[in-house]
Amino acid sequence: MRSLQIGFLLGVRQIQRASIWTTLLIVFVMMLTFLNLIAVSGILVGLIAGAERAVRAEALGDIIISPKDGEDHILETETLIRQLETFPEVADYSVRFSSGATLEANYKERRDLSGERDVASVQVTGIDPELEDQMSGLAGTVVDGEYLDATEEGYILIGAYYVAEYAEQFGDIFDTVENVKPGDTVRLSAGEVSKEFTVKGLIQSKVDEVNLNTYITEREFRRLFGRIDRNADQIVLRVEPTGTEDSVKGALAALEFERYSKVQTYEEGKPKFITDIKNTFNILGTFIGSIGIIVASITIFIIIFINALSRRRHIGILKGIGIRRSAIEIAYVIQAAFYALAGSALGAAITFGVLVGYFEANPIQFPFSDGILVAEPLSTFYRFLVLFAITLLAGFLPAWMIVRQNTLNSILGRK
Amino acid sequence: MKKRTKKPLIEAKDIHRTFGSGELTTHVLKGIDLTIYEGEFVAIMGKSGAGKSTLMYQLSVLDEPSKGSLSIAGIDVLTLNESERTDFRLHTLGYVFQDYALVPDLSAQENVMMPLLMRGKSWDEAAVTASDALQSVGLIEKDNNLPAELSGGEQQRVAVARAVAGEPTILFADEPTANLDSVSGKQIIELLVSLHKAGQTVVMVTHEREYAKDCDRIIKMTDGQIN
Repeated sequence: MRSLQIGFLLGVRQIQRASIWTTLLIVFVMMLTFLNLIAVSGILVGLIAGAERAVRAEALGDIIISPKDGEDHILETETLIRQLETFPEVADYSVRFSSGATLEANYKERRDLSGERDVASVQVTGIDPELEDQMSGLAGTVVDGEYLDATEEGYILIGAYYVAEYAEQFGDIFDTVENVKPGDTVRLSAGEVSKEFTVKGLIQSKVDEVNLNTYITEREFRRLFGRIDRNADQIVLRVEPTGTEDSVKGALAALEFERYSKVQTYEEGKPKFITDIKNTFNILGTFIGSIGIIVASITIFIIIFINALSRRRHIGILKGIGIRRSAIEIAYVIQAAFYALAGSALGAAITFGVLVGYFEANPIQFPFSDGILVAEPLSTFYRFLVLFAITLLAGFLPAWMIVRQNTLNSILGRK
Repeated sequence: MKKRTKKPLIEAKDIHRTFGSGELTTHVLKGIDLTIYEGEFVAIMGKSGAGKSTLMYQLSVLDEPSKGSLSIAGIDVLTLNESERTDFRLHTLGYVFQDYALVPDLSAQENVMMPLLMRGKSWDEAAVTASDALQSVGLIEKDNNLPAELSGGEQQRVAVARAVAGEPTILFADEPTANLDSVSGKQIIELLVSLHKAGQTVVMVTHEREYAKDCDRIIKMTDGQIN
């Protein structure tokens, strides 16, 4: 306790009497280290978090109802929908019917019937355009043409990755048709059944589930694919307030939803690779941040070492008059703690006060995601603890090295 | 010469101190036998290189003899480990170094408070005792000054205040006037004399005969031995 009191006095006074510019420089270095530790991994994770957020908003929603294992479709869909509508927490929902089909374009202009047809294997989703737009904002993804109208028939929306002009940036990885524009006629074929559609619009999003999809009205879908039972392939829900999905899922289970379907929250139903990539990026960010920690700890080590070395004689005198080694070491640890705390506090203020809000308002535009800065308070705190502990060690070690030297040698400046 | 009290405080027997090894060995102290009694004011004198400072470092437990025995205030100090030696110095000894040796970041009062806090006094108690000590050396009005804001003589008076504030059994002064002008040097000697008159045991290394004239005893050293 006595050592702590004296160490604190010595440490605080050394900080107070130090050059303000030197102190600011060290605090600045610590702040950059903190930002490096938090922001680098935060942006890397934010890339995936942005993609995940988009998938949740534009495709999967907060709760996903899908066919029960062993079933092709959601049983008793209409009954389930009636029950869903009684839930005040269910803000929006969309019922989707989906299947694979062949999309053919440019067949009317084709002169050589023995030549290659312009076809692509596509995913077709039947929707109620109004409900789908409320649920996923699908109308907002139309980049050319218009959105579907529930009162019209014979129209189709085509995802950008099925259109050669939009998908060419990715090479040949997608199955595409060429020169398709709004107003063109295309043909969807499912087995022996074919139907012509007019392209109402082209849609493009950062969510692959949208880009790799074609949309027609539910009524036409069921007609094309012979689905007379009205049993859907997917129902997605958005709940309000946010965060009530677990309780809503529990309530759905109580209504025997799970007898006819599989009910999952977004967290349960999201693709596993998203979690894996997120964890990988987190590790990568931590690794890059760790390099920053090592650099900062070396900086602190050198600063404290030079500081202690230049005061070696005073350290000897303090020991000579009976001040314990631990008190002197604590003085230097307190200096290191001050630098770490001040730098981290500044870094945290910039992170949470500026950067998080800035990236939220101005996401980094990546092809597959609107990158945000993910800085969760708890993980930020853990990272700060690591930085703090290593800084304390970096402050203690040089002090320990100098303080343990022979007292008289220190006083007389002998080696 | 004043009359000695009979209680021995420092008993050094056959003290040797060598530096280096092999052919490069330097024998600085060559079998010193010395007893210093309670209440004495002893001056250790000698030419440069005679070993007077080295002797004082042994007597003040800042260094360890290569050979011999040393008892201070009834304690065999050579059996103490480093931590115990630090505590021993804190509770038993006071030091005035040649070049003041104040902590530059602390005010005059805080410098004096340091050993008092280490002894376990509360902040308020230490502050009062430090103020009293600074009062006794005539520097109470400069208690908040940093060492850099004090003259050499004033810094040395603060160092004396720091050394005596904890009422040490023995006060060691290593050439306390060496870096001072004659007026300041005289003030320091007068301070040490007044402390001695109040009963303080003082051991001082000096090479100036004039400053040693008020001492009870002068120990003269030549070539690592007491004459």
